Amino acid sequence: MTSTISPPSGPRQERGARRDEKAGASGHETRSRPSLRAKLGALDVKVSPYLYIAPFFILFALVGLFPLVYTFIVSINDWDLLSGAGDWVGMENYVAELNDPYFWNSLFNTFSIFLLSAIPQLIAATFIAAILDQNLRAKTFWRMGILLPYVVTPVAVTLIFSSAFDEKYGLINNFLQMLNFDAVGWKSEVLPSHIAIASMVNWRWTGYNALILLAAMQAVPRELHESAALDGAGAFRRFFSITLPGIRPSMIFVIITATVGGLQIFTEPKLFNPSSSTLGGPNREYQTTVLYLWDLAFNRGDFGKASAVAWLLFLIIVLVGVLNFLISRSIASTNGDRSGKLNRSDRRAARKSAQQNAQGSAQENSKEHRP
Amino acid sequence: MKFSRHTRTATAVAGAAAFALLAVGCSSGATSAEPASTDNPVTLTVTTFGTMGLDGLYKQYEADHPGITIKATNIDTGGNALTDWKTKQAAGAGLPDVQSVEEGWLGQVMAVSDSFTDLGAHGAADIKDRWVPWKTEQATDSKDRIIGYGTDIGPVGLCYNKKLFKEAGLPTDRAAVATALGGDSATWAKYFETGKEYKKATGKAWYDQSGFVWNSMVNQLPEGYYKADGTLNIEGNAALAERWGELADGAAAGLSAGQTQWDWGKGKAFVDGSFATFVCPGWMLGVVQGQVEAAGGNADSGWDFADVFPGGATNWGGTFLTVPTQSKHPAEAAELAAYLTDAKSQVAAFQEAGTFPSVTAAQTDPGVTGSNALSKFFNDAPVGEILASRSEGVKAQFKGANDSVIQEQVFGPATIALDKGTDGQSAWDSALTTLKNLDLK
Repeated sequence: MTSTISPPSGPRQERGARRDEKAGASGHETRSRPSLRAKLGALDVKVSPYLYIAPFFILFALVGLFPLVYTFIVSINDWDLLSGAGDWVGMENYVAELNDPYFWNSLFNTFSIFLLSAIPQLIAATFIAAILDQNLRAKTFWRMGILLPYVVTPVAVTLIFSSAFDEKYGLINNFLQMLNFDAVGWKSEVLPSHIAIASMVNWRWTGYNALILLAAMQAVPRELHESAALDGAGAFRRFFSITLPGIRPSMIFVIITATVGGLQIFTEPKLFNPSSSTLGGPNREYQTTVLYLWDLAFNRGDFGKASAVAWLLFLIIVLVGVLNFLISRSIASTNGDRSGKLNRSDRRAARKSAQQNAQGSAQENSKEHRP
Repeated sequence: MKFSRHTRTATAVAGAAAFALLAVGCSSGATSAEPASTDNPVTLTVTTFGTMGLDGLYKQYEADHPGITIKATNIDTGGNALTDWKTKQAAGAGLPDVQSVEEGWLGQVMAVSDSFTDLGAHGAADIKDRWVPWKTEQATDSKDRIIGYGTDIGPVGLCYNKKLFKEAGLPTDRAAVATALGGDSATWAKYFETGKEYKKATGKAWYDQSGFVWNSMVNQLPEGYYKADGTLNIEGNAALAERWGELADGAAAGLSAGQTQWDWGKGKAFVDGSFATFVCPGWMLGVVQGQVEAAGGNADSGWDFADVFPGGATNWGGTFLTVPTQSKHPAEAAELAAYLTDAKSQVAAFQEAGTFPSVTAAQTDPGVTGSNALSKFFNDAPVGEILASRSEGVKAQFKGANDSVIQEQVFGPATIALDKGTDGQSAWDSALTTLKNLDLK
């Protein structure tokens, strides 16, 4: 810290030094050596921006990148949970997992629960948002009301649903039996257990997604709706041709987060039947991939294979995420073409409103609305 | 430029602080060799699970040992306690000073016995005659280090519901029940036969689910899922297959109520007459009482405890207190473990939770043999005396590294399948397939 012991006239000197530097560059070679002060100043300008953003990247490296790389290293070793690293086995763990029926079973369960939850959830969320977008009485009450399930922790949700879905003493089976239906094996049959778990996910996430879509809908310019209505477009036509394309960026956001969350589902199946000796149902009826991974690591102690599953799951999520992104983009842009008949000022208004849209990615908007 | 100078100083300070933090983080691993006293307070952490009946003893110990504070954590089930231990063992941090270990996963603990303190260095040799010899042997590793002090053992008797027995015209007196089931030479055949009579008379199930019956059947064999040399012992094991046949036959005759183990409809199945008998190791008595009470029942619900068990004497479960090497106060922790497992403590734990003592002096203590809250719940059955009688002739079975995984993931689903009507042979075959898929050693 030389700067603290330099004389008070330092700043002026430094300015002088800088002038000298410039002079040196234009031909005077006599006093061209910059002072330490100037060097530090230059360093400050160059380095400090990186220092300011460093905390995020340091944190990300510690809790994101490092575990990712470390998991990969574990996955190419024969690694026991308790006794630690064994031999280097290369891709053997991956090959073993890709040949393991339980791995494929867990993937099937994950996708089944994901589809059973994501599709009805997004459709419901879109329509709930569309309803809340109308002029309702006590708007805030309804809007907060649909967010309530999201406030409850998933563990509490699961405990309540688990009790309701109990096969022998549960509310739902009691009700079914009262109506002379057979009791359903909610916790021991494949499809019923998937529906039960999907219902927990839907209960918790529909309101949250509806609110995000509602925020996006409010940013769709009302003039578009008005002019379309003047042209004779009905409510449904306006919804599909104006609202849906208008909320596209938020839709993509919601679909991607639902994909990531849905493919990593853990708490609900883990606690759905906590007394089950095998995780995810007696015969792995609803053992999702994360649950399988956890079982592999902490019950069977095979850390190497569990890490391989973690990496496979990571790749699958990236793949499905990209796929969803492409599909949702193509669907929305077909709709966008239809709205291409709008005049230039309306397009400008749409572009402007899209830029104000807090949820969407700015890049996507500009690409879509560029004339 | 003045501003810039300040920024630089601030950066330097922040950097120095960060390094200081790191330095502190690295240096906090010091161990105090000094014994605990009021001047040198020591906090000991203890992890238990289920109902071990130790909670009342901590306060007494704190009062007797100034300077020691006990922070106890109780985990709901043994399975969750196992996960907790494994996670912390694998992470190399976070284990308590005193860790309870269940017999079912002792095999896994023994595989890493180096990470537990040799209690021989803390006076184990002086007190090892407290316990029944096989209990201490179980906790001794291949290098003759004693790594755990026994708390309870699990001699198994038969719980039965007096009211339901009466309805079915079976004897209700506990001595008569024991005789009816064959007394000292009770067999599983006789048990299932009586069950069929009961089913015929009442149309109700005889036991709650096949899983626990199967566990007791396996524990009874000289060698269970593993041979004594540590190799798997399931495929081609005639004794195991024969018992599976008996169990499957029982389930096919409708003797199982197909309940969910550890759930029983939040205890309702214990009071609504779903089943009439229940496999009861000592520590299970507290569980039964808890379940009955959770469902609104009490001593009048009719549960009683008979001094008989099909197939002879057997042990199911039981716990040890160990001191992981992660503990910073191994001497104090070992002393606490010794205290919690001495005769007096085991008597207290028994009265609290029905955990039958592994210390011989406690087994004959009037506090165990006499009347207590638990015996009152079981229709004044002398539970301590019965358990002492049930522990005669018990031999410890070797538990392999994956014993608990096999019990839960291989035979758990298979016994559930039996309860749901799958025939014995296909359930057995699917268990073998699972075993193969799991690739266990």
